[in-house]
Amino acid sequence: MAKGGSQSQEKTAPAFAETGLQQQLGLARDVSALGYTPYYGPDVASFSPLQQAAFQGTDQMAGAFGMPVAQGEYMPAPTTFAGGVQGYSSAPLFMESKGALQQNAPGLYNYLEGFSVDPMTGKPGAQTASQQPVVLEMQKPSSGGK
Amino acid sequence: MAGGANPQQTVMPGGANPYQQAAGAQTAALGRVGQGMYQTAVPGMQAYANPYESQVVQQSLRDVGSAAQMGLNQLGAQASAAGAFGGSRHGIAQAEAMKGFSQQAMDQAARLRAQGFNTALGASQADLGRQLGAAGQMAGLGQQSFGYGQAIQNQQMQQGAMQQQAMQNLINAAKGQYAGYTGAPMQGLAAMQGGAAGLANTYGQTTSMNPGLFNYLQLGANTAAAFAKPPGTP
Repeated sequence: MAKGGSQSQEKTAPAFAETGLQQQLGLARDVSALGYTPYYGPDVASFSPLQQAAFQGTDQMAGAFGMPVAQGEYMPAPTTFAGGVQGYSSAPLFMESKGALQQNAPGLYNYLEGFSVDPMTGKPGAQTASQQPVVLEMQKPSSGGK
Repeated sequence: MAGGANPQQTVMPGGANPYQQAAGAQTAALGRVGQGMYQTAVPGMQAYANPYESQVVQQSLRDVGSAAQMGLNQLGAQASAAGAFGGSRHGIAQAEAMKGFSQQAMDQAARLRAQGFNTALGASQADLGRQLGAAGQMAGLGQQSFGYGQAIQNQQMQQGAMQQQAMQNLINAAKGQYAGYTGAPMQGLAAMQGGAAGLANTYGQTTSMNPGLFNYLQLGANTAAAFAKPPGTP
């Protein structure tokens, strides 16, 4: 028996609550490692053949009256996606910008990449929550009193 | 015929697109109207001059000459009958007759040539008017062709935009599905957070006391002190 006695406090929660809390934190940790998921599909529909015909009509109109006409095609060739959908994807521009960042600022690029899983291997990046060092300092039961 | 560009010669051939038709008609009309601003009917009169006018005039003069000769013969016969042939009176009468015949010949020739001039002038003016009118009509037809072209082009643009919008809607729907797919983990987390919102109310805190020696001594002292107090003291 201690001379001055002791006082202890214990936090309690039902099992289902503790389970839910831990699962929630675990899920949050995993979701936070997802990072950005790129979209490689089409973003903008290409001009339809009727619209292109109308554009040619404008050229013919200008040409008939001796005015300047458009030289060559301004828009890039559209990509054909599933179901014959023709359009343009921003993915190549995104990849190009990402590559430029990697080339010009590799440190920043790698740091940024570390916040999510490796898109090829699925391994968590260095900056993901699961990779953060943890030192448990609050697991001792509090005590006090004399 | 009045000179100048013939609009029909400068219009684009059939099969040209409406804008080429319009441009051809406009060019032709501009050229013809511009030419007509400084043009008179004179150059075109030659085309309407009667090529036989001179023969007609000459024939007419010969007719007048024949008539004059006959008149002079008759005058001579009359003078002979009167015994005055070759006399001064006969000479005066011949001169007067010749004067009349000459005047008649000149009047006849002038009338014939004036008639030819007026006919050619009228025909040339009519040509000018007709050509300028045709040029104006040509400009109108060119405008009409231009309108056809624009109407067709606008129709193409509108229908094409509808098609493009349909394609864009399809793309947007696919993007929405993809966003739903990639955002599913976050949605799941949000759902879990919503479900766990009330968990805090289930937490509890238990405080327990394990008394020590001094606690017991203090308890005993407090108890003794309570009994030692005289009644009525607090």
